[in-house]
Amino acid sequence: MKIGFIGLGIMGRPMALNLIKGGHTVTVWARRAESMQPLLEAGAIAAASPAEAARGNSLVISMVADAPDVREVMLGEQGVVRAAAPGLVAVDMSTIAPAAARSIGADLAKAGIDFIDAPVSGGEVGAIAATLSIMAGGTAAAFETARPAFACMGKNVVHVGDTGAGQVTKAANQIVTGMGVLAVAEAFAFASKNGVDRSKVREALLGGFAYSRILENHGQRMLDRNFKPGFKSWMHEKDLNIVMQTAHELGLCLPGSAATAQMFNAMVGSGLGEDDSIAVLKLLESLSGQA
Amino acid sequence: MKVGFIGLGVMGRPMALHLAHAGHELHVWARRPESAADLPAVRHATPAALGAAVDVVFTIITASADVAAVALGQDGLCEGMAPGSILVDCSTIAPDAAREIAARLAERGIHMLDAPVSGGAQGAIDATLAIMAGGDAAVLDRVRPLLECLGKRIVHIGPNGAGQVAKACNQMIMVAAIQAVAEAMRLAGAAGVDPAKVRTALAGGSAASRVLDVMGQRMVERDFKAGIEARLHHKDYGLVLDAARRAGAPVPLTAVVAQQLNALMAQGWGKDDTASLLRVLESM
Repeated sequence: MKIGFIGLGIMGRPMALNLIKGGHTVTVWARRAESMQPLLEAGAIAAASPAEAARGNSLVISMVADAPDVREVMLGEQGVVRAAAPGLVAVDMSTIAPAAARSIGADLAKAGIDFIDAPVSGGEVGAIAATLSIMAGGTAAAFETARPAFACMGKNVVHVGDTGAGQVTKAANQIVTGMGVLAVAEAFAFASKNGVDRSKVREALLGGFAYSRILENHGQRMLDRNFKPGFKSWMHEKDLNIVMQTAHELGLCLPGSAATAQMFNAMVGSGLGEDDSIAVLKLLESLSGQA
Repeated sequence: MKVGFIGLGVMGRPMALHLAHAGHELHVWARRPESAADLPAVRHATPAALGAAVDVVFTIITASADVAAVALGQDGLCEGMAPGSILVDCSTIAPDAAREIAARLAERGIHMLDAPVSGGAQGAIDATLAIMAGGDAAVLDRVRPLLECLGKRIVHIGPNGAGQVAKACNQMIMVAAIQAVAEAMRLAGAAGVDPAKVRTALAGGSAASRVLDVMGQRMVERDFKAGIEARLHHKDYGLVLDAARRAGAPVPLTAVVAQQLNALMAQGWGKDDTASLLRVLESM
């Protein structure tokens, strides 16, 4: 399939590489031209604009930072919308608010472009290993068009529902992972303050109902005090803000998410934003005099 | 002085009347003309026309977008107000929005103060509002005689936006206090103790506060008819949390109280008084 790919950051670059490995013809565009170089060396074609990346292709994928960036590459002056053609499907794999995804999808629909919101979970490791979880929202027909591309980038690919449903799922994912990381950090702080070896606690818990991938992976990194991202805490804060704003708009009571979001807010405010989200452990320790 | 007024709601109407009664020539523009029908005022067809006729304009309307539209939109104030004239915005909006609107007006030589108020409808009627002003001190001095018709405590907080930051702080403290009173009233009731007696006893001690006094009384009487509609506090909490995240300042209590307000909205009490936070607890 001929695929355009927009946004070649930590996530986008390995995802686009996996599309090339899967035998697809990939045209790339990135804001900084130098970030296209590794892809061109792997056989990608360079585009001069997001519209160029979409022109003549059946699929165009974006992986950028925030809703205004998605809107710009999809609907801006040089955006995908300028390359509108019958059958073109646009896929955004960034994490943005469900309401923003619905609005961008509606505007693309006016130009006859089918839109899928398909955010991912699994981080840089999952992007490189092509084991991402992909949660998609959009029509069944558009999802079928995109499915071969999804299969090259991820393992657990689920068509959740209509436009926006993918972002709702991702927000739910960030609730679970945000509180999950905080829960593991609190359990470790609790163990240490009680004079108990937290690595032994982790080992014991892994065999029971508290088992989770976060306890296993993030827990190990906490023990190693390896705060290198991974997933930066300012990005987790951004995602939790999407959760809290959506809850505010809907009239939805989320006390645990609210408390967690403030811990991440404190991390960003105190200079831990570039650390992995497991640095919430550092914040907890300093609050309880365990530094 | 010729004074314009936009936003003749629960707060704005008594404020406008105070200015008229103090001898100022009152000019108004109202989205719904009938809301200004009985006021002793000169009526205008657009904000621009109002702005052209006066030296100072007061606005007190609901949301950031409304203030921006009235000030900067088509037929907005900026199309009529003369250089050197002053917009005093008493609405509660985002500090960033206040700064942005002030900057756009400054391009045309129009001054702006963000001057949100606290004290509720009763404070507006009694002319005892607390007024927290952001903007140039010299501009504030020019309108101080007008503000003294509306409130008792007028504090210059800092440059544009600073008044809105102070108002955000005010809302954080007040709604958290309402939640605290609601929890105390709920605990008393659940423990089989008369909430009215508890409130009366507490009013004489260290927990005494205006919120315990006024909102506590409403809870005891189960009088949930608005004073200030809870949906407005819900709106303000959205602004507070957004400002906190932009500043990287953790506000854990505010965040949890905001969730109680979300539950209040979900249960359909947005147009009732914020004392309804008691009813949220009772539904948990």
